[in-house]
This record gives sequence, structure tokens and C-alpha cells, in this order.
Amino acid sequence: MIASARSPLIIVVHISVLLLVALWTLPTAGLLISSLRDKDQLAVSGWWTALSTSSQNLTGRAASPEAQVEKDGKFVIEGKLLEGDTAKVSAFGVRPLQPSAFEAGKPADLGDGQTLTVNEDGSYQIVSPTRMEGTRGQRIFYTASVPPRFTLDNYREVLNAAGIGSSFINSLTVAIPSTIIPILVAAFCAYALAWMPFPGRAILIAVIVGLLVVPLQMSLIPLLKLYNGVGAFFGVPAKTYVGIWLAHMGFGLPLAVYLLRNYMAGLPREILESARVDGASDFDIFVKIILPLSFPALASFSIFQFLWTWNDLLVAMVFLGTGNDELVLTGRLVNLLGSRGGNWEILTASAFITIIVPLIVFFSLQRYLVRGLLSGSVKGG
Amino acid sequence: MKGNPKRFEFWGILENACPGRVGLLWEANHVKKTLLMTAALALLMAGGAAAADLKFKPGEDSKFNWQSFEDFKKGHDLKGQTLTIFGPWRGEDEALFKNVYAYFVEATGVDLKYSSSENYEQQIVIDTQAGSPPDVAILPQPGLIADLASKGYLTPLGDETQKWLLDNYAAGQSWVDLSTYKGKDGNAALYAFPYKIDVKSLVWYVPENFEDAGYEVPKTMEDLKALTEKIVADGGTPWCIGLGSGGATGWPATDWVEDLMLRTASPETYDKWVKNEIPFTDASVVGALDEFGWFAKNDKFVDGGAAAVASTDFRDSPKGLFASPPKCYLHHQASFIPSFFPEGTVVGEDADFFYMPPYASKPELGNPVLGAGTLAMITKDTPASRAFIEFLKTPIAHEVWMAQTSFLTPYKSANKEAYANGPMKKQGEILLNSTTFRFDGSDLMPGKIGAGAFWTGMVDFVGGKSAADVAGGVQKAWDAIK
Repeated sequence: MIASARSPLIIVVHISVLLLVALWTLPTAGLLISSLRDKDQLAVSGWWTALSTSSQNLTGRAASPEAQVEKDGKFVIEGKLLEGDTAKVSAFGVRPLQPSAFEAGKPADLGDGQTLTVNEDGSYQIVSPTRMEGTRGQRIFYTASVPPRFTLDNYREVLNAAGIGSSFINSLTVAIPSTIIPILVAAFCAYALAWMPFPGRAILIAVIVGLLVVPLQMSLIPLLKLYNGVGAFFGVPAKTYVGIWLAHMGFGLPLAVYLLRNYMAGLPREILESARVDGASDFDIFVKIILPLSFPALASFSIFQFLWTWNDLLVAMVFLGTGNDELVLTGRLVNLLGSRGGNWEILTASAFITIIVPLIVFFSLQRYLVRGLLSGSVKGG
Repeated sequence: MKGNPKRFEFWGILENACPGRVGLLWEANHVKKTLLMTAALALLMAGGAAAADLKFKPGEDSKFNWQSFEDFKKGHDLKGQTLTIFGPWRGEDEALFKNVYAYFVEATGVDLKYSSSENYEQQIVIDTQAGSPPDVAILPQPGLIADLASKGYLTPLGDETQKWLLDNYAAGQSWVDLSTYKGKDGNAALYAFPYKIDVKSLVWYVPENFEDAGYEVPKTMEDLKALTEKIVADGGTPWCIGLGSGGATGWPATDWVEDLMLRTASPETYDKWVKNEIPFTDASVVGALDEFGWFAKNDKFVDGGAAAVASTDFRDSPKGLFASPPKCYLHHQASFIPSFFPEGTVVGEDADFFYMPPYASKPELGNPVLGAGTLAMITKDTPASRAFIEFLKTPIAHEVWMAQTSFLTPYKSANKEAYANGPMKKQGEILLNSTTFRFDGSDLMPGKIGAGAFWTGMVDFVGGKSAADVAGGVQKAWDAIK
């Protein structure tokens, strides 16, 4: 009875879950398939066509007349239209408007006694009774069924691009301290705001929440001015790693403090009070009780902050510079696209290359995230 | 297992990805290791490449003006100094420019750092305002340069450079006008140096398709229109027009309108138009819009029909020329477009261009040429940045890029034989022979119009709005920022 009453709902739930999963993974699947296709194919057909054999009208060019050889008193040019041995030619033609005028394997008359034959496997032969002239080969239009074809060229191009390696290290140099520093600062700050009563605490919290809505773009110029001033005063360059760490810390702090404070304020008061009765100082409480208990919040924020700093382009461009030595990975990949953004096949491959580091961070921290959540629930009170 | 090795690699990746999280993690770690190794390799290679190699050895090829290089070398020594250049070129273009500035580095011993960024327009504004500008900036938007000059961030290049441009660039006065802006003090001065020009008045076609169908290259606009109708009568589609360009969707249509404007109205009217001294709703502007509409708003004239014009990406649209059977026969675009032709296309043989012809009925307008280009300016006055502008005055700075690809120059002393191929030389000659040269109007207009209302207006126009409505809308936007 119970099973039959619940089953329609369960089916609905399962179907919705399936649909949502499909909806979320479909674009990624499309991107993956696109990243494995070659540039010219990408431009003419969608990724969903890449999985099945398709009939395509293609254009090729025979070898130039310089390649002709004399055979039994006739002049012959031979060659092959398709690379690989998988495609099959069904028809061909010599005029653009009639690309399939002749069947594969049958000779077509080119005039002046010349004939052209294109075979099913893509090999062709031009036979002429007289010596052929000109510098350009005959154009051949043909219809071929092309099986799915994949290539790792896009990945090769991205990985072999000059400077990708140093940019990768630059990105790590930016992202790791930019994740750790704000967490350290925010954890102290959040503890104070949650558990240490002092006058004006509520206002301070309100101000920090208010800072969340300040768009970062607004502060770019004033902040860079400040850096330039400080740099000039101490005679050091204005655009340094320390600068960008501080910038990322500043942009990340309001959210970090807000998140951690709310989490810490929700911890049971009894634990802290008993610790205080036992003679623990605020620092002891923070290090020995609050920090271990807040691990889930710390982990989720660090995932957040790391993703943001890893994917960031704008802040890095402004505070670190656009020079070859300091370019971060996102900046390097954007530059690979070319001045007019035409090489977008690179985007598909680079998306999968940049995704690797956030994935590692996510999966390694996710374990702690789950453990932290569970450790509170099973002990009981 | 016999099979295509490439396909095997592909299935290998899928299999690795499937076993779930552990597999994925292993894979990720593995890739990370490979990446780090690649990183180490890349670092090594970068170190090796730091010793600049010159693409063409000085003194070897007589088509280059090596004397100018030697003279420049003698007059400039910047050892121990640095020069930062911020420009719009990335990817392949950056490599081409690198080959050019290598000669500057070789001659002066300066430590040159070139950088670019996708949002270079915003980046240069941020950096100049915050007080950390590059030494030299190279930008393609006169509107933006005018803005920088008016805030006092640029250094005037002086009368000597102005005279040099007048004497050495074809149609020198129009280049001087283009590079002259009002400074912070309100006085006009020469602030920029035009370097690297694109010609926009070109129509691309496939000669063999023309030959096969028996079409002739039109010499007048009337002929071009007749050819358009003839192709339709023969059952083909004449034009490929694509306006899509992400956030900049619509700009290819502004080129069309500007080109037609120069062919239907006087250059003075054009100048007034880009400064809004005549309203956008002026009969001459609406007329040019309607001329463009004649081509783009007719379902039979455009591949995919008029509805496809706005949604087709400008980078993909020329590919229709090369389809089998051809999706179109004609494509109007600037000289850079061959970079988006299918791989292996030989310009001049597989694809060619002709000058967008003027109207036979308006002989008084001559042969106007629409173009665009980049301008170099000094954002921080140092001996090295001054020397770089001097370097741009040497023929060798032009010839080295001419001998590569996608570079045109109006510099009369640069050897035309240095152009890498016939088509580039032909475009260079169009530039040198032009009776009127006008810079891309949308780049001259204020950003909100030339890179905003005009673009979106053109999308609305091909979407079915009338020319008068579109012009009215753009004028309204212009009034709002006055």
C-alpha cells in the first residue's frame, strides 16, 4: 500500500532529477565534444552532428599540373582527396553549381580529351592526351559520407602555447595566498563579532554586510592610485603579488566575515561557556573549539574564494599587469584567442584545462566538508 | 586493435573520465603533473627565445630599406632603459608585431615589454587615470584617444612629426586631421601617429566561381547592383552578410553604411555626420542606410535571408563563399578577413577582392576609401617612447610588417615590393591611390554612439525597422549625451 502510494511521486522526483542532471551536463558535454573537433568543422556544424556519420559536400583541389607524369603517351595526375581511409565518396563534380554531377568511379569529361575519375576511397586521376599547363590544380567538388572524427589538436595548441606554463604558476601564486589570507583574517574577525561583546558591534556587522553590495569595478581606479602612491613612496613597483593578494583579500573579506560570523554565532553557547569556566582564554576557545567546529564553513568559503580568484581576469589585469611575465592563466588564454577573438576552438580546450585545478580543490575539500558536517550530528548532546 | 590512433586517444579519455570520482581525481592529478612538466618546458623555451631573432637579416634582402635601420641604430642608444608598450594585438598579431619591434630592440638595446589585454579600452583608461600608464599606447579608436587627450594623459608629438606626416603619408592632411585632438588646455595638437592601416572598401569573391558562372568584376555600383540581380536570376544567392560579433554585434553593417555614405555624399558631409554637425536623420544618412537595405534586407540577395543577417557571426559569414555549392558569391569586409577563410585558402587565387566601386552617376566623388587603423601615442614622456615614435618614421618599421601579413601603410617611402603577396600590394595601392581617405566613422563617433546606438540601430534595421526610425533612434541617443 505504502509503496503504491509513494511511487508516483518518486517517479516524478526521479524524472525531474534526471532532467536537471541532463540540463546541467548537456552544455558541458557539448563543450567537451567541441573541444575534440577541428577548427573548420566547428565553424560549419554543431557539436551534436559530430557523433554520427554525415554526408557532406566538400571541395578539394587536385595537385598542380607540375605533378603530372607521362604514362603510355598520356599525362596523368594522381592523388588523394581525403586524409585517412574512413570517408567514402559517393559523387563528384567539377563545377560548383553541380557538385554531384558524376558518380564515384566513373570518368568525367573535362573537355580537350581530359578525363577526371574520383574513386570511392577519395583517390583521383586526371588523364590528358596532351601536356597540362597552369599552376593551379583542378577544383574537385565531391559528396562524401564522413564518419565522426576527433582530434586533440586544440589541446595540443593550448598546452604548447608559449608562456602557458609560467601563467599557470602565476595563477597558483595569485590564487593560493588570496584564498588563505582572507580566511585567516575573517575567522579571527568573525569570532570577535560573534562572541566578544563590545560597543558598536551591531553597527560594525551592518557596515560589513553593507560592503557586500559595493561593486568591485568601482574601486579599481582609486585602489590602483593608492598602490601607485605607496609604490612611489617606498620606491617599489606598484603592481606586485602582494598587491593583488591584498586586493583579493579586500574584495573577499565582507562575504567571508559575514558567512563565518553567522556560522559561529550558531554554535551552542554551552560549549563556550563551559570552556570559559574551565579557564580557557578567548584565544584558546578560538583555536581549540571554534576553528575545528567551523571547518565546514571554512571549507565552503575557501572553495568559493579559490574559484573566484582562479577564474578572475579583471583584478589580475589591473593589479598585476598584462606583461608577459605576470600574465595569469585566464589572461593568457584570452590572448590566445587572437585580436579579433576568432580562434574560439581554443576556448573549448582551455576550458577543460583550467577546470582541472578547481576540480582538484573541490573534490579534496569536499571530503572535509562532509566530515565536518557529520562530526556534529552523530555525537549528540 | 587496429584503428585510427587519434580516435583511440579520444576513447581513452572517455574511459578515464567514466570510473567516477577516483578516476577523475587520478586523471586530474595526472594532467596536473603533465601540466607542470609542460610548464617547466615552456619556461625553458621562453628563456631560449629571449635572445631576439630578427625575422629578416639586416642587409640581406634588398627590398628592405636597411640604410634607414642602420641610421636609426647610430642615432639611438637606450641601453639599460625600459619601454612598455600597450597595444590591441594579441595571438598571431602579437607575434607579427614582435617581429617588428625586435628591430627596435636590436637597434637601441632597450628592454621592451609589450602587453595587451582583451579589454584594452578599459585597461588603458584605468591605468592612465590611476597613474600607472605604459610608455607608449597603441589604440584603434580615435574616439577613445580624443578622450585621453582631453584629460591630459597624452604627450603632444610636436610640429616636426606633423610635418613628417604631411610630407610622407599619402593623403597626408587626412592623417594629420585624424591624429589631431584637443588637449587638456583646449588647444588642438598632434597626439597620435597612425601606424598599420586596414582598408575596408573591399568586396571579396571566389574568382573561379565567377569564371564558372560567367560573371565579371563590376566597375561601378550600378554594375554591382546589376550583378546582384543577375546572380538571383541565375538561381544563386549573391551576398553573405553577417553582423554577429558578440557584444559588438552590428559593426559590419556600420562599415557598409559608411562605405555607401562616402559613395553617395561628399566627404565634407561625411565629416559633419561623424561629428553630428548634421543630424543622423539627414537625408544623406538615411539614403545611405536605404542603399545598404537594398542589399541586406532582400531575402533573395542574402544567404539565409534577411533574418539571418543579424544572427550570423561575421567570422563565419565569409565561409559561405567557399561552400559547395557556393552559398554566396560576394562578401563586403575589410582587409583582415582572410584570417577567417578556411585553412589553406590562397588569397589572390582561391579568393580575391575588388574595390567597392563608386556610382557612375556620381563621378565628382572620385574613388573614396574607407579604412581603419591603429594609432601610436606617448602616454609617458621618456627618451625611449620618443625614440619609438621616431622608429615608426623609418621605412624599415613598415617594411618588416609589410613583408609578413595583414599590414598596410600609406607611407610613400616604404617599398611597395616589400608586401608579402600580390593582394596586399593591391590593397596598398588602393590606399595610396585613394582620392579621399576616411577613417571608420563609427570609431570617430563618441563611444555611446559609434560603439553602441549605431550598432544596435543597424541590428534593428536589418530586423525590419525603417531607415528613418533607426536614424531617429540613433540621433535621440546622441542628443542624450550632448
